[in-house]
Amino acid sequence: MTCEEFRRVLPELGSGHRIEQDAHLKSCGACSDLLEDLNAISREARLLQGSEDPSPWVWNSIEVALRHEGLIRQPQLQHLQTPVPMQGWRLRWLAPLVATVVIVFGVLIYQRGTGQPQLAERQPPPAGVVTANLQPKSAEVMGGEDLQLLKTVSERTPAMRATYEADLRSVNAYIRDAEQSVNSNPNDEVAQQYLSSAYEQKAMVYEMALDRSLP
Amino acid sequence: MTDAKKQQGDRLSEAEAIERAKQGDAEAFESLYNLHKRRVYSLCLRMTANTAAAEDLTQEAFLQLFRKIGTFRGESAFSTWLHRMAVNVVLMQLRKKSLPLVPLEETLETEEEAPRKEPGADDPRLAGSVDRMQLQRSIASLPPGYRMIFLLHDVEGYEHNEIAAMVGCSIGNSKSQLHKARMKLREILKTSRAEKAIKP
Repeated sequence: MTCEEFRRVLPELGSGHRIEQDAHLKSCGACSDLLEDLNAISREARLLQGSEDPSPWVWNSIEVALRHEGLIRQPQLQHLQTPVPMQGWRLRWLAPLVATVVIVFGVLIYQRGTGQPQLAERQPPPAGVVTANLQPKSAEVMGGEDLQLLKTVSERTPAMRATYEADLRSVNAYIRDAEQSVNSNPNDEVAQQYLSSAYEQKAMVYEMALDRSLP
Repeated sequence: MTDAKKQQGDRLSEAEAIERAKQGDAEAFESLYNLHKRRVYSLCLRMTANTAAAEDLTQEAFLQLFRKIGTFRGESAFSTWLHRMAVNVVLMQLRKKSLPLVPLEETLETEEEAPRKEPGADDPRLAGSVDRMQLQRSIASLPPGYRMIFLLHDVEGYEHNEIAAMVGCSIGNSKSQLHKARMKLREILKTSRAEKAIKP
């Protein structure tokens, strides 16, 4: 067998070789080296399986989607109130505003965490920022804007209220965890990204709640 | 999510998590995600060579899985079911977005890509050792058609008949593409090693 013949059958070679191929490999260093290199590439490639981690953002998004599709089931609370037709329209303008406030607030927290960790604990929050959210335990409790949102949802789509309430509690818990992580280690970039992502998630919940609950 | 809760999620057995996920249990979904996220994400990342696209595809693969989890009857391993679904999501997305996939049947071996035909000439070998980081970079630089077959066979462990069915090519074509991918990788790795040796 020549080198050319050997290389022609090489793509078909499995783990076992025929007698003539073995004989050629014993007599030809170049083909023997080639086969060894290809096997080494193959062996090393197998070790790449499952070697990368996705960002926490991926699970957050999956969870939000699962909740909104009803795949994660919550006890349903039925509110049999009569919808107030114009209430939703009056509040529609709140959606982008609340989303903006939440994102800006998240960015502020992020910047404080990265830029001035030593000052973050001493300085009072800037005027105009919703200071209640800066308290570590504030995220556990529904804020006024959260309750207002739930009220709107329950008026327009009562069946979805429990879902959105669970979403808000969940995302508030994310924010609380992320805030604790950032506070305990202000230089942890992953924690800062997580916090930023948590605020984005909350903004997303607001947008979806208002979009879906309005006519 | 707190560490304690995360650990609790990880402790759920896969079978238990599947049954609880069928009932809509949030913790069970997260447990299944944690068990398989690395493999699914790694596959998506290497297929697309793009972090954002890989994250989107990972999300889509898991969402499809969770939407269909009620139909999982356990005839095959859950991981097999999941990874096949992830591969399908990636392939579908690649086709939908018309990413620069080289049609398998049309992939021609150029002079540049052809394996060296002069055995015995100056042909430094890898000596059986491959730098993993360099291998990752080299895989990312492969033409998409080669890369896909190489990833499915050598990284993910699919057989040629499975790849042929998933990708829609012949078994012979799959073997040929894999061989060309390995040869191309060998060339890239050798070049990289030679360049590294020249640099001070």
